[in-house]
Amino acid sequence: MTRQAFLARLKAGLSGLPADAIADIVADYEAHFAEGEAAGRTEAEVAAALGEPGRLARELRAEAGLKRWESERNPSAAASAVFAVLGLGAIDLLILLPIVLSIAGTLLGLFVAVIAVFGSGGFVFAAGPFLDPPGGVAAAMLAGIGLMAGSVSLGAVLCLVTVGFVNLLVWYGRLHYRLLKPAIEPQA
Amino acid sequence: MEAVEVQLKKGVLELCVLALLSRGDNYAYEIASRLAEGIDMGEGTIYPLMRRMQADGLVDTYLVESSSGPPRKYYRLTEAGKTSFAEQKLAWSSFSKAVNAILGEAQ
Repeated sequence: MTRQAFLARLKAGLSGLPADAIADIVADYEAHFAEGEAAGRTEAEVAAALGEPGRLARELRAEAGLKRWESERNPSAAASAVFAVLGLGAIDLLILLPIVLSIAGTLLGLFVAVIAVFGSGGFVFAAGPFLDPPGGVAAAMLAGIGLMAGSVSLGAVLCLVTVGFVNLLVWYGRLHYRLLKPAIEPQA
Repeated sequence: MEAVEVQLKKGVLELCVLALLSRGDNYAYEIASRLAEGIDMGEGTIYPLMRRMQADGLVDTYLVESSSGPPRKYYRLTEAGKTSFAEQKLAWSSFSKAVNAILGEAQ
C-alpha cells in the first residue's frame, strides 16, 4: 500500500471525530512515513508495519467514543459509546445486537413508566384539595407525595442500572481491539 | 504462548516508553523502532499510546526543527512521568525478582 492510500483510508475511517483530532492523528502517521523513508524503507514496508488503516481508524474512533463516556456520563455520551462499540463490527457484537436493543428498549420503557408515575403522583397531590377524594384531602396529598418519592427512587436505580449496562458494553467492546490493544488499555 | 506474550507486553509497554524517555527526549518514530526491535511491538500502536500518556500527563511535547523535512515532535517526561517511572520500575524489578525465584525453584 502506498503512503497516499494508507493516509486516505485512515482519514476516511476517522470521519466523525473532531477535525483537530483527525489532523493530529494523520500528522503523526504522515511523519512516521517521512521518517521511515529517510531511514531507507519503502512506503509499502512502512504501511505493512503500521497495520491495516481501516481497522486502525475504527479502533481509534471507538476509543474516542468510549473515552467520552468515561469523562462525561450523559445520555449522548452513552449513545456514542454504544455506537462506538457496535462500530467495531465484530461478528459476535452483531449477534449481540438484538439483546442490546431489547435491554435498551426495556430500560427506556421503564424510564417512561417512572416519569408517568411521577406525573400522576403530582396530579394526585395537586388535585387532592379540590376533588374531595375518598379518604380525605390529607391522605390524597400524602399518597401523591409517596408516588413521587417512589418514582424518584426507582428512577435513580434505573440510572444506575443503565450506567452499569453501558459500562459492561464498553468493557466488552474493548476486548475486541486487535491492533491497539496493548497501547490503549490503561494498566490496572 | 502467543496470548501469554501479548499480556506480558501489554503490561510493560508503558514502562518501556518511560524508560526510553528517561534516558533522553525522543520522537515517536525512534521510540517505535526501538520497541519494534526490542519487544516486537506493532509500530502503529505507539501513537495511541503516546496520546494516552500525554492525556494522563506523563509526557509532554515540543517541536524541534529538523535539517531534513518538517519539524519533529519530541516527547519528554513530565515530573509526574518521572515519578511514575520510578514507581513502575521498582514494582517491575521486585515482581520479576519474585517470579525468577519461583522459576528457579521449578528447575
